[in-house]
Amino acid sequence: MNIPEMAKVRKKSNNLMRVILLFLISASLSASICALSALSALLCPSVCEARVYLDITSPGIKKFPIAIQDFTGKEALVQEGLEISDIIRSDLQFTDLFFLLDKNAFIETSDSPFNADNWKPLGADLVVKGTIEISPDGSLGVVVSAYDVVEMRNILKKKYSSKKDLVRPLAHKIADDLFEVITGKRGLFGTRIVFVGQDGQNRSIYLMDFDGQRLKKIVGRGSLTMKPRWSGDGKKIAYSSLRNGKWSIYILDFDTATERLIYSSGATDLAGDFTPDGKYLLFSSSGKGSPDIYLLHLGTKVISRLTYEPAIEVSPSVSPDGKQIVYVSDRSSTPQLYVMGIDGNDSRRITFEGNYNTAPEWSLAGDLIVFTSRAGGSFQVCTIKSDGSGMTQLTSAGNNDEPSFSSDGRYIIFTSDRDGVKGVYQMNVNGEQQHRISPRNIRAFGPSWSR
Amino acid sequence: MKRLMVVVFLALFVFSCAQKEVTIPDRSKDQDSGKKGQTGKDDVTRVDKENIRDKALSEEELMREMQSIFSDTHFAYNRYDVTDDAKPTLRKIADWMLKRTSVTILVEGHCDERGTNEYNLALGDQRAQATKSYLVSLGVSSSRIETVSFGKEQPLCTEKTEECWTKNRRAHFVMSK
Repeated sequence: MNIPEMAKVRKKSNNLMRVILLFLISASLSASICALSALSALLCPSVCEARVYLDITSPGIKKFPIAIQDFTGKEALVQEGLEISDIIRSDLQFTDLFFLLDKNAFIETSDSPFNADNWKPLGADLVVKGTIEISPDGSLGVVVSAYDVVEMRNILKKKYSSKKDLVRPLAHKIADDLFEVITGKRGLFGTRIVFVGQDGQNRSIYLMDFDGQRLKKIVGRGSLTMKPRWSGDGKKIAYSSLRNGKWSIYILDFDTATERLIYSSGATDLAGDFTPDGKYLLFSSSGKGSPDIYLLHLGTKVISRLTYEPAIEVSPSVSPDGKQIVYVSDRSSTPQLYVMGIDGNDSRRITFEGNYNTAPEWSLAGDLIVFTSRAGGSFQVCTIKSDGSGMTQLTSAGNNDEPSFSSDGRYIIFTSDRDGVKGVYQMNVNGEQQHRISPRNIRAFGPSWSR
Repeated sequence: MKRLMVVVFLALFVFSCAQKEVTIPDRSKDQDSGKKGQTGKDDVTRVDKENIRDKALSEEELMREMQSIFSDTHFAYNRYDVTDDAKPTLRKIADWMLKRTSVTILVEGHCDERGTNEYNLALGDQRAQATKSYLVSLGVSSSRIETVSFGKEQPLCTEKTEECWTKNRRAHFVMSK
């Protein structure tokens, strides 16, 4: 019996009354979005006939050869020019879909006009040039042009402007546009990742870019917190925190930089996915005894109960069409994945291999579910189709858990203890290119990728 | 209007209770006494000198008594049913609670380090609730037992051994009033 421990819990919760939403940080975040949404676009009409240069949906893709020239500007802007072009190169490189030509081999200087003859010998299919200037209001103005080498024509010309200290989001935006022009699909370079981090004894929610850069603490309450879930528009996250002795569900709104208590039964309430239309939040609650899955209408606050089994039902994640839910249940005596309709009907078990399958997340890009499975004595990230076929193990080093898909379904982030201190790792959906993206001085849990 | 006043009054009352709970002695002291298995003799003498009320002393005794009765109960891997090994401890706890009707407790459900955080939180929740249900089945009023899950967030022991994992899969009891 440990009475003072209780005292400690109470004391802690009193401290928690000092809300530590880091408003400045959240504000700077939305500022960056504003800057980018205020871009003025001057697309030349020829782009409108959407030609797909690289079909990323086809199996066995040949890497697309592209030359990104260093962006140019007056002397004071040389550094920014190099930085922006480097970020664009690194973004495209990340996808493993492009062959980036070595800039040292370029014949044409960055400030010369495009001439296809300079690029044909190098094997480039597309050439990107950019110029930077300082606008009268002090912001950075960047004009980007992309040229089709084979057809010898300009296929993209676009002007961007942003605050001087937001070079990274600006460069990611340019990379996203180039990606879209080439593949016809939305890029993911503007997406972000949240995770729960422990730095010493303190727990906080951290936010970073998809590549692990621009890391910042956004909610620093210090309380225990579970994996957050993003809303489809990237403006909110939902998560559960232990405060005042109860696990309740909170939503953080980035636009208003406010956190709201959304649901508290007094028992263990755990946030699940937002539905794709953003109207509902899935969650689990043990308010009626055993944890069950519920659907909460965020506008009306009406709650529908979806499961009634006297077993654990947790971790609901919704299909991209919003019609199905994958979740964990131990009704068969071990935790396994089940799929049911959004109304709670037609539940069916989809995992039969192993005695521990948890933490499912449904890909936004289609019929694939990523989850954690106990294999041998360790925990590994696997994928499976919603009909239970094609189970594939993607990791094997250390313990790997809490996977989350990128918006395009091509990449997965997860936590791993392979290097000792638990961190956030990233890999391709086939398990290739596994690498750490969170800093080593923070123990990281529950990463979640914006949709 | 009157009803509103009552609610406000009740809220104030609850709040003041909650405030009071913070004044329970700090943890380090308790850990020391836990190691020795009893409260240090020096401490008791000092308490006498400071002429603390009888009630405080009896609370001290209550604490000591509870410490010997409320030991952790353990669970099998990935299970939350009360084991036969845990039942004698829970019977002792229930008997004691039936005698001391003013005491309410918090049952914490804990898990070992293996597996997904979120699932472990549900597992810990069910361990705490199963423990509570067993005590209720022995006659303790359910309103005297609160539950909370810590999942795998607060291990007692951090080695990667079966012995350590067993220690961590536990229901832990804390006096809440």
